[in-house]
Amino acid sequence: MRISKAGLLVVLALLAPLLVELRTVLSWINVELSVLETAVVGAVLVAIVLVWAFLPENGEDEDTDETADRNVSNGD
Amino acid sequence: MMTMSNAYIDDFPAEAKVIRAAFYSSFFALALGGVFGVIQTLHRTGYYRFIDSADYYTVLTAHGVFLVISFTIFFLVGIFTWAVTTSLDRGVEDLRFTWGWYGLMAIGITLSGVAILAGFTDATDISASVLFTFYAPLQGHPMFYLGLVLFVVGTWLAGVDWFRSWWAWKGENPDERIPLPTFMVLTTMLMWYIATLGVAAAILLFLLPWSLGWIETVNPLLTRTLFWFFGHPVVYFWLMPAYMMWYVLLPKVSGGKLFSDPLARVVFVLFLILSVPTGIHHQYLDPGIAEGFKFIAMTNTMFLLLPSLLTAFTVVASMEHGARQRGGTGYFGWLKALPWRDPVFTGMALAGLMFAAAGFSGMVNAGMNINYLVHNTFWVVGHFHLTVGTAVALTFMAVTYWFLPQVTGKALWSRSVALGQVVLWFVGMTFMSNAMHRAGLLGVPRRTAEPQYDGFEFEAAVGSIGELQAQIALGGILLTLSLVLFFANVIGTGLNGRSDDLPANEYAGTLSGPEDAPLVLDNLKLWTAIAIVLVIFAYTFPLLSIVDRGGLFGPELNPFPVSIESVTLLAFAVEHLAVGALESLSLPGLLEVIR
Repeated sequence: MRISKAGLLVVLALLAPLLVELRTVLSWINVELSVLETAVVGAVLVAIVLVWAFLPENGEDEDTDETADRNVSNGD
Repeated sequence: MMTMSNAYIDDFPAEAKVIRAAFYSSFFALALGGVFGVIQTLHRTGYYRFIDSADYYTVLTAHGVFLVISFTIFFLVGIFTWAVTTSLDRGVEDLRFTWGWYGLMAIGITLSGVAILAGFTDATDISASVLFTFYAPLQGHPMFYLGLVLFVVGTWLAGVDWFRSWWAWKGENPDERIPLPTFMVLTTMLMWYIATLGVAAAILLFLLPWSLGWIETVNPLLTRTLFWFFGHPVVYFWLMPAYMMWYVLLPKVSGGKLFSDPLARVVFVLFLILSVPTGIHHQYLDPGIAEGFKFIAMTNTMFLLLPSLLTAFTVVASMEHGARQRGGTGYFGWLKALPWRDPVFTGMALAGLMFAAAGFSGMVNAGMNINYLVHNTFWVVGHFHLTVGTAVALTFMAVTYWFLPQVTGKALWSRSVALGQVVLWFVGMTFMSNAMHRAGLLGVPRRTAEPQYDGFEFEAAVGSIGELQAQIALGGILLTLSLVLFFANVIGTGLNGRSDDLPANEYAGTLSGPEDAPLVLDNLKLWTAIAIVLVIFAYTFPLLSIVDRGGLFGPELNPFPVSIESVTLLAFAVEHLAVGALESLSLPGLLEVIR
């Protein structure tokens, strides 16, 4: 995985403001999306992020991304 | 073998008890406020209306007061007590006094809360559905105002408690710089003392005597202006503790140090001197205040962007330092090395991100000309759900996951649930506040149970009003689910057994420490004096002009003369004036005709 699971969760969450604002921005160039079309664009974006996240990085081990994610504050 | 942790409760068991009480009071208010929040969201959007629309305003008052007064302030007195005792490394001077101010706050908010909730029943004549802003001529029961007074006096005494600790510490450490967390508490409280003079005057001199029937009328513009004297700085009273968390806790959980202690001090000094002389920017549409005064308030408000931008720089720099300590590299690659698995970090980072968006919509509110576009619309509601509803509330919820183990001695129930909770809040608030802002731009009003009107339809530039309503309702439901997860964690942690494996009670070190900060920054008397002078500049003339025009207790009521004698007198005066006017026109021919 290219990113930790928690990192992936946050990236997916950040798609929410991107999607709702994208619809407004696209309307400026006369591309008006319906709610359904926006949902489809969202699903495509989620799929792209998931594919990217789960592709192994070149020459990198599966575990490496987790090491950087160990928490130091809550003593788990 | 017995192991000991270095959690806060181990060093300050008695103070931990007070902080726990303050936190639980805060969470109780959050639960109530949250329930009222989802009720009004579903009612307003028309998805589920089970209350009478007249009761909507009682719900709205409860939602506002319980969240922005009880939840935020009880929480912040908890973390301020932690900050002072931890950074000075000494307990409070007199524990009975500490419990005293907590008790006063609790009694005060109970009185106000009962007055508000009594509005749901006709069994008593008590009610206070006056919204958070309690503008006259809306009148609440005296118990509502009295409760607010006691609550605010409780916070004043809390400030006295923290100043006592500092004075005692200073006596023993005369040459030391004020530790940063204590410095932040003291500057915040000085700002709060100045700010609350406005609301104290509004309530004690006018609204409370008026609700008791001691005076007949009030000057609504005067009480409104006094409210906003307090009403804008109160947002910094919520925000400055959140900033404190971003400065002293976020760098630590990021794995690094605070980038600059001097910059943090500058930010808090700027908030002390600039927070209060800005309140009139909430009154751009109030007739009776000259445009020039409003322009001064706008200028002061724009200066307030400076401490927020300094904070954005310092906090992100501290996070980057932390990420690089954890092995992060590259221009943006370091972001991956941040502890996203930690809800304390992720919650605060997302809250900070939302606050950036809130800053932009805040600039629109603050600009006199574009404010007219959004004033009293749903835009403003969207704005403050990003500021107090996310930057502050999400930060407070996130740091709860660090503080709760510290003050209870119990391990957090579930970090995964906590992470889901903060992310869910972010997503829910994205949907809700985005739609509120957009609806505001279309002119949809705020403070309205049923924003639907006969013969008129709001028109959306993109999508439809119905879609915006759906987005708001969806956001509200996600936020409610997030609250359920939060309370599951709080209750689960409370039911856990005592743990000996808790992180130590520490806050972030600094890359550039207090020794790099000019000594003058610690001169609290100087900054307080400047703050008072600015307030005098900003408010003296507007207040004098409001009193001059509208009277201290409202305009004097002079009934129009309706007696027979006065009508005769009036007719004579009109005739005399008319003849005089015609004569002055020097039209002899016309006068001849009339004769």
